[in-house]
Amino acid sequence: MSRLVILTLGLAVCFFYLPIVVLGIFSFNAASTMAFPLSGFTLSWYADLFGNEAFLGGFVTSFLIAQPVGLLGALIGLMAALAVTSPRMRLRAAFAILVLVPFLVPKTVLSIAQAMLMSWVGLGRGATALILAQTLVVIPFTTTILAAVMVRLDPRLEEAARDLGATPWQSFRRVLLPQLSVALSAAYSIGVILSLADLTISMFLAGRTQPLSLIVASEFRRELKPDLNAMQVAVLVLTALIVALTEINRRRRLRGRLAHVRDDL
Amino acid sequence: MALVFHRAQLAVPVACMLILGCVLPLAVLVVFSVFEVDLDAFTLVPAFSGQSWVQMFTNPVFAFLIGKAVVSGAGTAMLAGFIGYPIAVSMTRLPVLWKGVGSIVLLTPLYTGEIVRIYAWRVVLGSEGLVNAALKWFGVIDEPLKFLLFSPFTTHLVLLYNNLPFMVLAIWISAELIDKRLIEAARDLGARPIDAFFKVILPLTTPGLAVGVFTVFALAAGDMMTPSLLGGTSGATPMAMIDNLFGTAFDWPLASALSLSLLVILFAFATGFVTILLRFDGARAVFRRGAL
Repeated sequence: MSRLVILTLGLAVCFFYLPIVVLGIFSFNAASTMAFPLSGFTLSWYADLFGNEAFLGGFVTSFLIAQPVGLLGALIGLMAALAVTSPRMRLRAAFAILVLVPFLVPKTVLSIAQAMLMSWVGLGRGATALILAQTLVVIPFTTTILAAVMVRLDPRLEEAARDLGATPWQSFRRVLLPQLSVALSAAYSIGVILSLADLTISMFLAGRTQPLSLIVASEFRRELKPDLNAMQVAVLVLTALIVALTEINRRRRLRGRLAHVRDDL
Repeated sequence: MALVFHRAQLAVPVACMLILGCVLPLAVLVVFSVFEVDLDAFTLVPAFSGQSWVQMFTNPVFAFLIGKAVVSGAGTAMLAGFIGYPIAVSMTRLPVLWKGVGSIVLLTPLYTGEIVRIYAWRVVLGSEGLVNAALKWFGVIDEPLKFLLFSPFTTHLVLLYNNLPFMVLAIWISAELIDKRLIEAARDLGARPIDAFFKVILPLTTPGLAVGVFTVFALAAGDMMTPSLLGGTSGATPMAMIDNLFGTAFDWPLASALSLSLLVILFAFATGFVTILLRFDGARAVFRRGAL
C-alpha cells in the first residue's frame, strides 16, 4: 500500500468520525456548556441519564418498536431477495425499482403522504403505523444485503437437493437457509439500527407514541445540555455493539465453514 | 395444470405491500391535489378544483424552493463524487482481510441517527466549538468564525457527511469489478498512475458513479432535517414547506401539489444525470461485457 492510499483513508476516517469523537469527549467534560477548553473529567452526565425518566421511557419505546421492524424487515427482505435472484423472475427490473422506491423518495414526502391517506380513510397513527412505515423504509436495505449474498451462492447445491428428491420447502430449509443465516442476522441488525436512528417517519406517524429520537429532537430545539451528549454516546455504543456482534457472528461462521472445508480435505 | 410454487412468486406479496404502503399514498396525492378544504370544519372536501395547481405554478416561492433543492442535491452529489473517488480507489488497494473492516468503518457513521449527526456537528462547528477553538489556539483568528454554523456552508458540509458513504460504496463496488489486468497492462505500457486512473479506472467505474450520483442527489435534495436545523435562515426546503402546509396551514391540496411537483422534478433530474453519465464510452463497455 502506498503512502497516498493510507493518507486518503486516514483523512476519510477522520472526517467520518470527527463529530462522533467530539460528542464522546464532551460527554465526559465537567462543564454545563459545550465549549473549549475542556474543564475536567466527570461521569455525572451519565449518572443524570439514568435519573431521566423521559429518556429512559423513550429508549424503551424505541427499542420495542425496533424489534418488529428488524424481524419484519429481514423476513420481507428475504422474500424480495429470493424473488429478485430467482432465474425465473419476470419483470425483474420493475420489481427492483419498486423495492427501491422507499429509499429514493424523500422520507418527509412519503411519510406525509402516508399520514394524509391514513387520516383520510380513518386509520389512527401510532405504534403500529410507525412500525409498518419503518419496515417499508428498511426493505431496500435488507433486500440488497440478502440478494448480494444469494447471487454468490452456488446454485448447484440447491439443484442437487432437488435432484435428490427434496421438495422446494425442504431444499430451502435445509440448503439455502443455513447459508443465509449470517446475512439474515445482518438484515435484522440493519432494521433495528435504522429504526432506532429514525426521526422523520416518527415525526409524522408516531401519533402519541414518543420514541427517543422525538424526545431528543424536542430537547434539541430548546437547548443543548451535556446529558444529551451522554445519551447520544449511549445510543452510539449500543449501535456499535449490534454492528460488532453481527460482524463477530459472521467471522465465527466463516471460520467454522473454513474449518469444515479443511477437515474434508 | 398443477400449481407449482416457485420462489419468483414471492415477489407478489412483497410488491403488494410496497404498492399499498408507498405507491398508493403517493398516487393518492394526485386526488388530494384537486380537492378543496373546508376551513370552518377542518375537513377535506372532494372536488375537482385546479386551485392548488394554479397556486403552485403562479407563486414563485414554490419553484424557487424546488430549484434550491435541486441545486443543493446536485452540488452535494458532485462534491461527493470528487471526494468519493480517491477514497473508493484507495479502498480497492486494501489487503483482502482489511476490506471487511473498511466497509464496517465506512458504514458505521450511517447508522447514527439524523439527530445525533446534526447535534454532533453543532458541537464541532459552534462559535465555541472544536474548529473555532482550534483556530484560536493556533492564532489564526481572534473572533470565532460565524459562517461555520447556521449557513449554507454548514448545510452542505453535513449533507456531504451524511451521503458520502453511499457514493464511496457505489464507486468502490464497481472499481472492485474492474479486471486488475487492465490496470497492470496500462502501467506496463508506460501509463503513469494518473493516466491509468483517467484512461482505465474512471471510464470503467462510470456505472458506479451514476448509481452514486442518483442516490446522493435523491437523498441530499430530499433532506429536510439538516437544512432546517443547521442552515439557519437559509434552511428553507420544499419538504419543510410541505410539512407546514400539511400540519399548520391544513392546506392538504397545496401540500399534495407541491409534493408531486417535487417528486417529478427530482426524478427527472436524477434520471437526466444518470443518462448523461452512462453515455460515456466506459459505461457502454461495462454493459456490453455484462459485468454489471
